Amino acid sequence: MDMKRDYYEDIRFFTSGVTVFWFVVLIVFLSAFPFLVKNYYVYVANYMAINVIVAVGLNILVGYTGQISLGHAGFFAIGAYGTVTLMTSAHVPFLPALFLAAGTAAFFGFLLGLPALRLEGPYLAIVTLGFGLTVTQVIGKLDFFGGRQGLHAPDLVIGSWNLDTDREFYYLVMVITVVMVVAVRNIIKTRVGRAFIAIRDADIAAEAMGVNLVVFKTLAFALSAFCTGIAGGLYAFVLRFIEPEIFTLLMSIMFLAMVVVGGLGSIMGSITGACLLSWMDLQLRNILSFPHVGTWLESLSRMYFSITGVSNIQFILFGGIMIAIMLFEPLGIFGIWIRTKKYWKTWPF
Amino acid sequence: MRSSGFKLAAAVSALVLGLAFGVWAEEGVTDTEIHIGQWGPQTGPAAAWGSVARGTDAYFKMINAEGGIHGRKLIHHMFDDAYNPAKTLAGVKELQEGTGMFAWVSGVGTAPGLAVKDYLMERKIPWVGPSAGSLHWITPPEKYLFAVYPLYYIEAKALVRYGVEKMGFKKVAIIYQNDDYGKNGVKGAKEELAEHNMKLVAEVPVNLTDSDLKPHVMKLKNSGADMVLLWTSPKHAVITVGTSKAMQFSPQFMSTSTCSDFPLMMHISKGLWEGVIAATFAELPDSPHPLMQKYKKDAFEKFAAKDERWGLFFYAGIVFAEPLVEGIKRCGKDLTRERLVKELEGLKDFQGISGKIGYKPFDPNDPSCRQGQNHSPDG
Amino acid sequence: MLNFLQMVVNGIAAGSIYALMGLAMVIIYKTSEVPNFAQGEMALVCSYLAYMFLDQYGLPVYAVFPAVLVFAFLLGCLLEFAVLRRAKEPNVLGMIIITIGLEMILMGIVSWKFGAEQKTMPFPVSPYDSLVIGKLYISSLEAMMLCVTLVIMGILFVFLRFSKLGVAMKATQQNATAARLMGIRVRRILMGTWGISSVVGCTAGLLISTTLMQPYMMWDPLLKGFAAAVLGGMTSLPGAVVGAYLLGIIENLFGGYVSIEFKSTVAFAVIVLILCIKPSGLFARHYVKKV
Repeated sequence: MDMKRDYYEDIRFFTSGVTVFWFVVLIVFLSAFPFLVKNYYVYVANYMAINVIVAVGLNILVGYTGQISLGHAGFFAIGAYGTVTLMTSAHVPFLPALFLAAGTAAFFGFLLGLPALRLEGPYLAIVTLGFGLTVTQVIGKLDFFGGRQGLHAPDLVIGSWNLDTDREFYYLVMVITVVMVVAVRNIIKTRVGRAFIAIRDADIAAEAMGVNLVVFKTLAFALSAFCTGIAGGLYAFVLRFIEPEIFTLLMSIMFLAMVVVGGLGSIMGSITGACLLSWMDLQLRNILSFPHVGTWLESLSRMYFSITGVSNIQFILFGGIMIAIMLFEPLGIFGIWIRTKKYWKTWPF
Repeated sequence: MRSSGFKLAAAVSALVLGLAFGVWAEEGVTDTEIHIGQWGPQTGPAAAWGSVARGTDAYFKMINAEGGIHGRKLIHHMFDDAYNPAKTLAGVKELQEGTGMFAWVSGVGTAPGLAVKDYLMERKIPWVGPSAGSLHWITPPEKYLFAVYPLYYIEAKALVRYGVEKMGFKKVAIIYQNDDYGKNGVKGAKEELAEHNMKLVAEVPVNLTDSDLKPHVMKLKNSGADMVLLWTSPKHAVITVGTSKAMQFSPQFMSTSTCSDFPLMMHISKGLWEGVIAATFAELPDSPHPLMQKYKKDAFEKFAAKDERWGLFFYAGIVFAEPLVEGIKRCGKDLTRERLVKELEGLKDFQGISGKIGYKPFDPNDPSCRQGQNHSPDG
Repeated sequence: MLNFLQMVVNGIAAGSIYALMGLAMVIIYKTSEVPNFAQGEMALVCSYLAYMFLDQYGLPVYAVFPAVLVFAFLLGCLLEFAVLRRAKEPNVLGMIIITIGLEMILMGIVSWKFGAEQKTMPFPVSPYDSLVIGKLYISSLEAMMLCVTLVIMGILFVFLRFSKLGVAMKATQQNATAARLMGIRVRRILMGTWGISSVVGCTAGLLISTTLMQPYMMWDPLLKGFAAAVLGGMTSLPGAVVGAYLLGIIENLFGGYVSIEFKSTVAFAVIVLILCIKPSGLFARHYVKKV
C-alpha cells in the first residue's frame, strides 16, 4: 500500500478510501466541536489552530528546505500589526487586510531569504534571531503602530457577519487553517516542493540539477512568512490587543520547538507538535491543582525548594517532555507514529 | 446528521445554562462562598510581581479566619499567566466559564489586562484594582472597572513638581523603560515641566532586556541634569544609580512606586539607594500604621509561605483588594454585581493602607470616576 | 574625543561578559556543532549555588568560588553524559531543541528554589566603585572582568595548543572518526569540552551576579555571546573574543551617537552586513562544501 507506483499516485490528495474516511471524520468533528465542549476549550482550539498554521508554515522552511529560523515571531508581529492597522487606518475589510498583511510578511521573508543564500547553521540562526528582535523594536518606535502602548483590534466583521464570540471565530480560524494546511501540503507535492527537498538534501547538487537556488530559497522564506503572517493576523483578534512585547524571542523558539518536536518534514507532525506544545503551554499551569500530584509537589517544595516558586515546575515538565521526545525519536512525534504503525502492520505475527 | 447534532448540542447547552442560572442568584456567589479570581505571573521574566497575587491570597485567608464577610467566605482563585496575554485570556475564560467568578481583583500587567478587559466588561463582571498605573484603564472609563493604582502619569507630575518647586532643580532628565509604563512617566514629566516653562534635558529609553546601562548613564551625565527620574524596573533603577556612582555623576534620583520597596532596593543596590526619593502608593514596609501592623501579623505571618517576604509587592496585593472587600462588606447580605458597583461608586475617602480611595457615579466622559487614588501620598 | 574614548572603554568593559559567553559557546560548537542554548542557564545554576553558600551559609568567597567552578565542570560533564549523549541519531535541530529543553529545566529548578526576586551576591570588589585613568572611568569590577577574560583566554589558548588533552580535542573536532581510530576517547573528550565550556560560562555568571541576580539574567549575555561568537566565526576562539569586544564597542558608540533605543539591535544589523561579506564570520576559514 505504501509503495507509490506512479507520479499521480504521489500527488493524489487522498491516497486511499481510508484516508477519505478519516478526512471526513475529521471535518465533521471539527465542525461539531464548538457545540460539544465549553467555550474555554473553543478558545484553546483557536489558539492551537493558529499555532498549527505557523508550525506548518515554518516546516516548509525548516523541515523541507533545511534552513533555520529563530525569527518567526517577527513575521507573526508583521501579520498582526499589518492586519490591524490596515483595518483601522485604511478601512480595508478583514479578509483582504489579512492577505495584504501576510503578503507584507512574505515580502520581508523574501528579504530575509537573501542573506540566507550564503549562510547556514548558526550564522543563519543569529541573522533570523536579529530580524525577530529588530521587527518588534521598529514597531515599538513607530507611533503609527501605537508604539509601545499597543493597538486595539477593531471589531471583526466579514460582510454582515460580526464575529464576536469564540465559537464564531472558531469557524473562521478552522476554515483558514484547513485551507492553509491543504495548500501547503499541495505545494510540497509539486515541483516547488521537490525543489525545496532537493535543496535540503544537497544544495549544490540541486543547483547542478537545475534548481535555481536564489528563487527557491527565498521562495521558501516567503511562503513560510506568508503562513506565519496569516496566523499573526488571526492572533491579533484572539487577544484583541497587541503590543510589541508580546512577540518575543521565546515565541520564535516555541514555534521552532513545535516543528522539531512534531517531526521535521511532515505536515501531520507539525500539526500534532503545534497542538501538543500549545496545549501544554496553556494547561501546565494547572499542574498544582491535579489531585495527589499537586499536594505532593507542594510538600516537596516546602521541604527542599520554595513555595513561592512552585509554579516553575511547569517549565521543568515542559523541558523534560521536549527532551524526552527528542532523545528517543529524532523525527519527533511523527517518528513515533511511523514506528508504531510499522510495528502493528504485521500484527499479530 | 450534522444539523441534528447541532440541535441536540444547542438544547443540552441551553439546559445546562438554564440550570446554572437557576441555582445561583448571582454568578460566583452562594450562601457561604464568594468566588474571586486573579491572575499574576508566578513564572517568566515578570515573576517578581507574582507576590501581588499571593498577598491577596493571604489577605483573603485572614478575612476568612475572622469569619468572612456576612457569613460568606472569600474563595480566591489565582493562576499563573507568565505575563503572556494569551495565557491570561485562557485562564480567565476557564475560571469564568467553569467555576464562575463573582468579580476579579488586581491582575498584574498592562498587556495581560488589556487582553481580558473586553471579555470581562462585555459580561459586566466587576474588576477592581488592575496592578499597573496605566491610562488604558480609565480612557475610556468602564462601568465595571475600578482602578486603584495611582497613574504613573500623575506620579511623574507630582515628583517633578516636588523637585522643581520645593528643591529647586533646574535640569530634569528621565530614564524610562521602553513601554507603556515608561511612556506614561515621560508624558507626565513633560506636561508638568511645560507648566514651569522647562523641558526635559534628556529622555533615555531602556529596553527591558538591556543589562549594560553605561551609554544610557553617559547620556544623562552629558545632559548635565541635576535631577533624574527613574521610570524603570527595580533592576534597571539600581544599575542606573550604581553606574552613575561609578561614573561620578550624582544628581538627585527620583523614582516611581514600582521601585519604592526601600528595604529591597537598599539591599540589592548594596546601600546606594540611600537618598533616592520615590513616590509610593501605600505605606512603607516598616510603617507603624496600625492597619499595616495588623496585616503583617494576621495575614502575612499566619498565611504567607515561609519563604515569602513582607515587601511592597506582597502587600500591594492587599492594597488592590481592600476597596473590593470594603464594597462587598457594604453590600450586606444581598450581594449582586450591580449592587457592588453602586457601593464602590459610593466610596469616598476610603482609607486602607494606601492613599484615600474614592470613586464617582459612572460618567463615560469623566475618567476620574473610575480612578481610585488620584495622587500619591508622598509625592 | 574624551566622550569617544570613554565610550570605547565602556564598550570594552561590556564586551568581557560577551567574550566569556561567546568562548563558552564556541568550545562546545567546535567539537559537537551544537549551539548550546543551555549555556546561560548552566552558569545560572552555578551562580545561585554560589549565592546560597555565600549569603545563607556565610562561607568566604575564596572557598566558594573555586568549589563552584569545580561544580560547574561536573555539571557540564553530567549534562553531556546524561542527556546529550543519549540522543539517538542526532540531527543539529534536534540537539538545539534538547539544549532548549535543558535550559527550561535548569531555569525552572533555579526559580523554584530561589524565587524570582532580585538578589545580589556579596563580593569584595564593588561594581559601583571606579578606577580613574586620566579622565576615563572604568568600574573596578569591570576592570577585573577584563583581566579575568584575558587570563582565561590565555589559559585556554595554551591548553588547547600545548596540552595532550587539548591536542586530542583539536583532533576530535577535525575528524571524530579518524581521532577515534588513533585511540582518542572521543566521547570522553566531548564530555570534557562540555565541562570546560561550563566553567568558562560559570565565570561569566559569577561576575554578572555580583551586580544583580535574577533568574532571567543570563538571557541577554547569552544572546550577545552567541552573536559575538558568530561574528568571530563560531569555530575560532580568538574570533569570539575579538567579536565580543567589537560588539561591545559598536553598541556603545551606536548608543552614544545614533540611537540608544536600537543599541541592542544594531549588533545584529552589523552581523548581517559582515556575514554578507564573510559568510563564516571574521576569523573562521570558509570551507566550500563538496557534494
